[in-house]
Amino acid sequence: MKTTKGERTFYAINYVILTLGALLCLLPFLHVASQSLSSYRANTSGLVGIWPVELNVDAYKQLFQGTRILPSLFNSVQITVIGTLLSMVFTVMAAYPLSRRHFWGRKFFMKAIVFTMLFNGGMIPTYLNMRSLGLVNTYGALWLLNLINPYNMIIMRSFFEEMPQEMIDATKIDGSTEMQTLWYIILPLSLPVMVTVGMFYLIWYWDLFQGVLIYITDTKKYNLVVLVNQLINQNDILDKLNRRSSSAMAVQISPDMIRAAGIMTMVIPIVSIYPFLQKYFVKGVMIGSVKG
Amino acid sequence: MLSVSAAKKQRRDLKQYSAEQRVKFKRSIPLLLMFLPAIVYFVVFKYVPMLGLQIAFRNYFLMDGIWKSPWVGLDNFRFLLSSGQTLNTIRNTFVLGILGVLVSFPIPILIALLFNEVRSRAYKNLVQSFYYLPHFLSWVVVGGIFTGIFALDSGIINHLTEKLFGFRYAYLYNEGSWIAVFLSARIWKEGGFSAIIYLAALTNVPPELYEAAAMDGAGKFKRIIHITLPSIIPTIITMLIINMGKVMEIGFDQVYTMQNDVVSNVSEVISTYVYKIGLGRGQFSLSTAMGLFESAVSLTLVLITNAIAKRFDKGLW
Repeated sequence: MKTTKGERTFYAINYVILTLGALLCLLPFLHVASQSLSSYRANTSGLVGIWPVELNVDAYKQLFQGTRILPSLFNSVQITVIGTLLSMVFTVMAAYPLSRRHFWGRKFFMKAIVFTMLFNGGMIPTYLNMRSLGLVNTYGALWLLNLINPYNMIIMRSFFEEMPQEMIDATKIDGSTEMQTLWYIILPLSLPVMVTVGMFYLIWYWDLFQGVLIYITDTKKYNLVVLVNQLINQNDILDKLNRRSSSAMAVQISPDMIRAAGIMTMVIPIVSIYPFLQKYFVKGVMIGSVKG
Repeated sequence: MLSVSAAKKQRRDLKQYSAEQRVKFKRSIPLLLMFLPAIVYFVVFKYVPMLGLQIAFRNYFLMDGIWKSPWVGLDNFRFLLSSGQTLNTIRNTFVLGILGVLVSFPIPILIALLFNEVRSRAYKNLVQSFYYLPHFLSWVVVGGIFTGIFALDSGIINHLTEKLFGFRYAYLYNEGSWIAVFLSARIWKEGGFSAIIYLAALTNVPPELYEAAAMDGAGKFKRIIHITLPSIIPTIITMLIINMGKVMEIGFDQVYTMQNDVVSNVSEVISTYVYKIGLGRGQFSLSTAMGLFESAVSLTLVLITNAIAKRFDKGLW
């Protein structure tokens, strides 16, 4: 097909709009990263744009030495790793039976699970339930909040359903149990969906904020998200840091610097697994949208 | 005679049916055992809390628990609908929710249409990754970035406008501009990523359609309006239904991380209010009533949207 003059203008405008949009997505990151790496003087006099001015790592030094960021980072890793593993095991055990055509009660179970996506007890009854089970102030509450996410379960089930049923039936004739079929036949063929759903859970646990605010009362058990939120909103943390530093090191840091450094600590792990994330998330959303 | 034999046949069918069911059940026992944890999980952590909703109609006392606190009928709801503060909270939820859907719904469609017209694969992949990135960040991060950028004395926007035009503006402390910042943060975080679903739908459009239309002399814009858009209408409707359900539950995280006391008149929404008066001040019954009100309205919105979509044969179920 030949491109007309009108079409060429169209493509040019299209590229310009999309590139501007991409810059809008990118510039805020560059700005925050620069703030975290610029000096106190540059930050307070508004010299920092999208490039560090008077490069230094004082903000990070203060952040890692003067706050509970390392323990909270460790808490985040613990919540995320264990939570993702538990969720994956139980989601598989829910999705596989529901993917089998002759599973007794399949339609009813499916409806009962989908209903929980449309309606639920809400914050307070869920909290009271967790409390009566003695789960408040334990990570158990966080892991049980979203142990089997219906949306993730449906993505997995759709993937299992696509597998040839004859193949599964054949393993039955050979006398293998359901557990063996799942373990030796289904799972090795399901790597893409496992990674996708695993990523969904991973991000959910890593970014978990409201759940921690509600269920975790011991500040020593806070995760990184809640700590960074405190850095952003509570100036007394900063005052404490500055007092500490004025006696020991004589470095001053502004609220912007500590805020920016905290934000970057949250962002860097995500960005470093981002190429991987993007690939599988896009796939997962597509599987989900076809079957949804 | 005829009816007797029909009844007999029916009974025989029923017997056969229940026998089949029994066989099906027996064969399903291993699968049921595997499924048992899921049943326990959904009953204990999803359905039991629904029973807890009854405290919306009781006056909950810690000592009495959910089942023994005294009934108060609709008193909690009457209070919610008569107090200025709670009515304001309900209004804010609707305003932010509806504005959120109106403003953020068309953007992903637009982005998908633009990307669909890009021919360089390398450019597309690179630029798309910038659009998707904000989705993966917690609202604490995105809220922090936005409140930082628009801050009154240290924000970069105010530094720039002061240098160029000599003025500063309190974006976060005026109600109108706070809402604007709130909505832009939402678009920034989710706009690009939500386009994926439409892009997926667009890959299914047969290219012959475009060729035929081009042959008939349809220009670029005509092709987009008459071929591309109609082919993603089912996806648009599905997404609209899903979004309608979310009108009421504009995420707690976003509001909680972006709100401040100066604009609380427009920024307090049901979920943040429930958190503050429920867990903060222990008013469990009142906050549960508020939560139930929210869930009931959003369920109704989903059902209504789906019913309308069904009229056009596009319902979700």
